[in-house]
Amino acid sequence: MTLALASLLIPLATALLLLFLRSRAGAWVIIASLLSLIVAGLALAEVVAHGTQTLAIGGWDTPLGIRFELNLLSALLLTFTALVHLLVAVYAERSRHSQTRDTDYWPLSCLLHGSLAALWLSRDLFNWYVTLELLGLVAVAMIIISGPKAYGPALRYLLLSLAASLCYLLGVALLYGRYGVLDIDLLATMIDANHTTRLALLLMTLGLMLKAALWPLHLWLPAAHASAPTAVSALLSALVVKGPLFILWMLWSRMAPVEVAQPAGLLFALAGIVALLAGGWAALRTPFLKTLVAYSTVAQLGYALLALGLLLRWQQTELSAALWLFVLAHGLAKVSMFLAAGEMQATLGSKRVSSLKGATQTMPIAMFAFAVAGGSLIGLPPSGGFVAKWVLLQPLLADPVHWPWALGVLLGTLASAAYVFRVVALAFDRADPNPPNYNPDAFAQWLALLPALVVWGMALYSEPLILWLTEVNR
Amino acid sequence: MSSTLIFLCAGSVLWLMGLHGLARLHHPIRRIMAINIMGSGTFMVMIALANRGEHSDPVLHALVVTGLVVAVSATAFALRLAVAISAHKSGKQQAPEPNE
Repeated sequence: MTLALASLLIPLATALLLLFLRSRAGAWVIIASLLSLIVAGLALAEVVAHGTQTLAIGGWDTPLGIRFELNLLSALLLTFTALVHLLVAVYAERSRHSQTRDTDYWPLSCLLHGSLAALWLSRDLFNWYVTLELLGLVAVAMIIISGPKAYGPALRYLLLSLAASLCYLLGVALLYGRYGVLDIDLLATMIDANHTTRLALLLMTLGLMLKAALWPLHLWLPAAHASAPTAVSALLSALVVKGPLFILWMLWSRMAPVEVAQPAGLLFALAGIVALLAGGWAALRTPFLKTLVAYSTVAQLGYALLALGLLLRWQQTELSAALWLFVLAHGLAKVSMFLAAGEMQATLGSKRVSSLKGATQTMPIAMFAFAVAGGSLIGLPPSGGFVAKWVLLQPLLADPVHWPWALGVLLGTLASAAYVFRVVALAFDRADPNPPNYNPDAFAQWLALLPALVVWGMALYSEPLILWLTEVNR
Repeated sequence: MSSTLIFLCAGSVLWLMGLHGLARLHHPIRRIMAINIMGSGTFMVMIALANRGEHSDPVLHALVVTGLVVAVSATAFALRLAVAISAHKSGKQQAPEPNE
């Protein structure tokens, strides 16, 4: 537990330090992320060896105190968060096109890291509200780094995020008023299916779905993610939307009574299928590259929603593994995609997808990164996305009654293949390539490729990953 | 019990009014006010729930205080952003940038 706390406190302390110390901020953040990654990795090893650990903060026990719990999933997510932050920080420091060099990006990204780490460790409804607010405020502050054009989408995101938090908070108040505890495991032992519980769960779910941009509450995401600086878009898509998803999963899989969870699961699963199709369709139609990548986030979150829905519908805990594999694979692939897209957009001098004509010739490494990450989003073997899809499809294919859901997954796969190939096919059109405005920055392109390689490497470690994630709910 | 019920209803009505305002209004300042009304509604529900028994519940009071701190800082941030947007808009009207 000490190690996990260190993984939270290192970025937090760095953020406070960087408010005073402005020079060489990038180097500090890289060192802090690296330290945090090492510590989180050690914490993961400790959990694998000794099992779940809990900490009552300040020595106050539940129900009054706040409890931190470090289980396999939390440790894995801590490691993942630190890894993504490290990769993005190296890119933001070294790329010529990153608009974040001498800005407030550095302390803010550390704060984001700290709030996410706190979210993964918390098991208290109100503490989650605080981490959600932190996450939302920091995310908005990071979007406006890219200048006045982003102010409009940023304010819209901020207001929706605040409304969503208040929705969640009202649900928390109702649950506390009924049961008198805030700790999720204590609530799970007391909760029963009455009107208060249903209303509270509805309010909390709506708030969290809005924050996680789950269909049909996703409309703010494309504008906000596409207008942010490249490094920020990568962090937002890979990490920030996953925080509320974690809370949603915790609420429904650990706390909600079964008779409420089963009908809700059907709605979640249907929303997931629609998200896959609607997000894929929007990504196929949009003229702008970063908006395409942002809509692909909406679509990919559909898989997570589908896994959550089926998990609740059939009460099969193995599907948790599918959900979290999707989150990990999508996060890494999306970092790679956003960094490659940002690099190509800056070098080719246009935000449009059509400017990528002949990009395999002019910017081969960035385009390769985009395609490799896209391969994982589609679910081509042997990538992380394939492993996740495999785990999801196994229970679907086992019983002929479930085959319609498998058809939904197939349609979603086709949709993601369509928008990835839309870009890749254009990039191979070398007859009249769009000439770059600047000399391409090869090092930054290699950095964009790195997360995509990690996600394909995930397939090599798929066995321990699946085993760990399957044990999470027991 | 009846006063608790009145406050609970009033809080819920405020929350709904805030949500309605957020959905229907367009001016940034009005939308920020709508969010604040929503927040006040939530806090009113929490305070009403805290004062049900003989002794008021300190946990809910602590939650409301934390919530107020969050609401104040978020409002300040949103107002600053709204001011920046209107400054940017009026600046653009006076002198259009050449590369716009």
